[in-house]
Amino acid sequence: MNRRDFIKQASLASTAMFLPKFVSGFNLIDSAVATGKKLVIIQLSGGNDGLNTVVPFRNDIYFQKRPSLAQQKSSLIGITDDIGFHESLVAHSDLYHNGELCVVNNVGYPNPNRSHFRATDIWHTASSANEYLQSGWVGRYLDATKSNSTAAIEVDDTLSLLLKGEQTDGIATKNPQLFFRTTQEPYFKKVVQHHDDSHLSEHNLGYLYKTMVTASNSAKYLYETSKTYTSKIEYPKNEFAKQLKQVAQFINSGLQTKVYYTSLGGFDTHANQINKQKRLLSVYDEAMAAFIKDLKQQDSFKDTLIMTFSEFGRRVQQNAANGTDHGTANQVFLIGKQLKKQGFYNPMPNLSNLDENGDIQFDVDFRKIYASILNNWLDVDATKVMRSSFTDIKIV
Amino acid sequence: MTISEIVHVYNRVGFGISAKEAKSLQGLSRTQLVSQLFNASQKVEPLTINLTELRNGLKGLNLKDREKIRSLIKDSVKKIHELNSAWLYKLGTTEQLLREKMTLFWANHFVCHDKNILHFEQYNNTLRTHALGNFKEFVIAISKEASMIKYLNNKQNKKQKPNENFARELLELFTLGRDNVYDEKDIKEAARAFTGWNHDLRGNFRLRRFQHDYGEKTFLGKTGDFGGEDIIDIILQQKQCARFICEKIYRYFVNDEVDASRVSEMTDIFYKDYNIENLLRFVLTSDWFYDPKNIGIKIKSPVEFLIGMHRVVPMKFEKERELVYLQKLLGQHLLFPPNVAGWKGGRNWINPNTMMLRLRLPSILLANGEIALDEKGEFEDDFQRFNDKRNRQRRLKVTPDWNTFYTNHTTITAAQLQQSLLTSPINTGTETYLEKLADQDLKETCIQLMSLPEYQLC
Repeated sequence: MNRRDFIKQASLASTAMFLPKFVSGFNLIDSAVATGKKLVIIQLSGGNDGLNTVVPFRNDIYFQKRPSLAQQKSSLIGITDDIGFHESLVAHSDLYHNGELCVVNNVGYPNPNRSHFRATDIWHTASSANEYLQSGWVGRYLDATKSNSTAAIEVDDTLSLLLKGEQTDGIATKNPQLFFRTTQEPYFKKVVQHHDDSHLSEHNLGYLYKTMVTASNSAKYLYETSKTYTSKIEYPKNEFAKQLKQVAQFINSGLQTKVYYTSLGGFDTHANQINKQKRLLSVYDEAMAAFIKDLKQQDSFKDTLIMTFSEFGRRVQQNAANGTDHGTANQVFLIGKQLKKQGFYNPMPNLSNLDENGDIQFDVDFRKIYASILNNWLDVDATKVMRSSFTDIKIV
Repeated sequence: MTISEIVHVYNRVGFGISAKEAKSLQGLSRTQLVSQLFNASQKVEPLTINLTELRNGLKGLNLKDREKIRSLIKDSVKKIHELNSAWLYKLGTTEQLLREKMTLFWANHFVCHDKNILHFEQYNNTLRTHALGNFKEFVIAISKEASMIKYLNNKQNKKQKPNENFARELLELFTLGRDNVYDEKDIKEAARAFTGWNHDLRGNFRLRRFQHDYGEKTFLGKTGDFGGEDIIDIILQQKQCARFICEKIYRYFVNDEVDASRVSEMTDIFYKDYNIENLLRFVLTSDWFYDPKNIGIKIKSPVEFLIGMHRVVPMKFEKERELVYLQKLLGQHLLFPPNVAGWKGGRNWINPNTMMLRLRLPSILLANGEIALDEKGEFEDDFQRFNDKRNRQRRLKVTPDWNTFYTNHTTITAAQLQQSLLTSPINTGTETYLEKLADQDLKETCIQLMSLPEYQLC
């Protein structure tokens, strides 16, 4: 641990001690201030069609390649003279005009993979296309900062590769109460209480006991802290909104967790894309609207950075089933109050220069965005987390 | 042999052994016991499910009939889940422990996935056929499997435009290991030798002559008009290949932490003839295999954990889907490896979530406990389905067969049961707690022992 890390950790620890977290019903309005910056990662799973999300409505090639799928100017939310947002992205267009959104276009990596599983692994592990890593970049962030498991939470029942580190894994939970209850079963509790710490070795048995204790402590911490806050914002009634509501509850209750991850599935629109994508994007946008409102009301939005990505974009040329097939580069949304770069980070895709499959060429490596977030938002040296060094593009 | 040695062997070559059976084998010597294990695994009993309908659907199939093809693919994917449960039940009941355990090992070595159940079933049985055979024949057979040809893009590997994926993984994952002996140029040359290796609709290997590159190649310092088999032959001449496989087998059967001198003894044996059975016989009869430092120290894979329980208290799942869900939660969904490198194993199986689940699973499965039943969405799910998934807390529809347990344990004491279930030393605090629980029903003892961190080790 260097001096800078030490001071940082020490100050975190001391502020944490003064917070009466376990007083139930006591609402800590500004506890988020004390817990520092947060990152919320959202995956639009299945491969969102970026070209119909942020639309170049004056581009002839776009209309040629998408005879029945192209979005007409009249149905879009105008953003600039030649770019419009999909009609479902109402809240996002407000964010754009408030300077709280940065759209990074054409994000990808060399030799893109078009399989959902593989492409998701690449995004989660921050690997190159021909590299198979078994730890995620958020997991390695836990390792590099010597954080405990509760520093990264996936709001789901199983843990994705993204949150798996070499030494430490994050926690997956959709419902902290349920998670806590499972650790309160009499037998489990007894084993946790009775085990003998002094005999825990570095061997596998010691590792198992330590993990058991971590699980038990984490569940208690998550439940007892998060129950001190109840959101007053009305969220849409769907699973994704519920997950974001849970994240807001975690953040606003003053949990020390630094990174949250959740996903919305169904974007694999090979057929009849128009209605499907419209519905999915409004689910996404409406839930985000409530989530951001919730954070703003508790003044925690300024310390929260939200990143939305999809494992790949879709083919520029539409297919015969009024849908699109798996593509490559896509846009990433960064949302927050403290963006260094607002609006559009870079130009829209160049549709006259596609790759040999007819897919969009990347111009920003996704790992540069990660590096930027790690260096400037999560305050950790990105080279400790990424396998190689990537130029920090200073977005946040 | 001592009971603890017998349990140790059965933990590693199978999924544990009942206290009663272990007692009955006490009179045998190591060599006798090991011979008995190999004899039991002589026969190859393929894993099959009923695919008549799909096969009939393929007959006279018009490749332009897209709708028909789509529906066949859908049926095929469903059947893969059926193959998954069939495999698990086979593991739970098989007498051919060694062959099945090695099949599992190779499935995580020659990693593959396929949506075509006809091809995938055939691939799975090729693993089983060669599991204890000759490694060279094995590598050749696997390289000719339709599923593998598709999975590693050898289908796209043509003379005019070679695809290096298969050649790269053949060297890096299947035979030599990363950054060993070969370089990028060797990969390119090897890829040329496998051009045109393809398959027909039924899954038979076909060499497409017009796509095959018959020209001269230079690979690992040798030059000739090599075909795929020649490349495999040259790879196996490298001692590194034998070492790579032996190290992996050592980590799988003996200890996560490699002992270089043991691996080198194994390598000398294996390099002679690449006979897998001989290699395993050497490992299982050597003294160091029974060294206490190698007993009760490996973290069970989810499959070893589930099947181990099942072999003590047989369980019947009413819903296939729930068995799939459990595998996903535990982090090992058989037939669905995470990527071409396979499951990493060891401590990677364990995180706070999986640890808690493992400790609670015996009471969930055997004592009617509850579990959260929300599945992660699939990429293909539409929103409706995604949204239907609520936070549910439910009982799994699983029936434990306690009668069989009692029948097999009539003369068994709690201490004997413990000896057969736990080979790891026990945490002192936990041991004290266990002593307080003595004098209860054997069923309770069984569930409690299985709910300990120690039970995660074998």
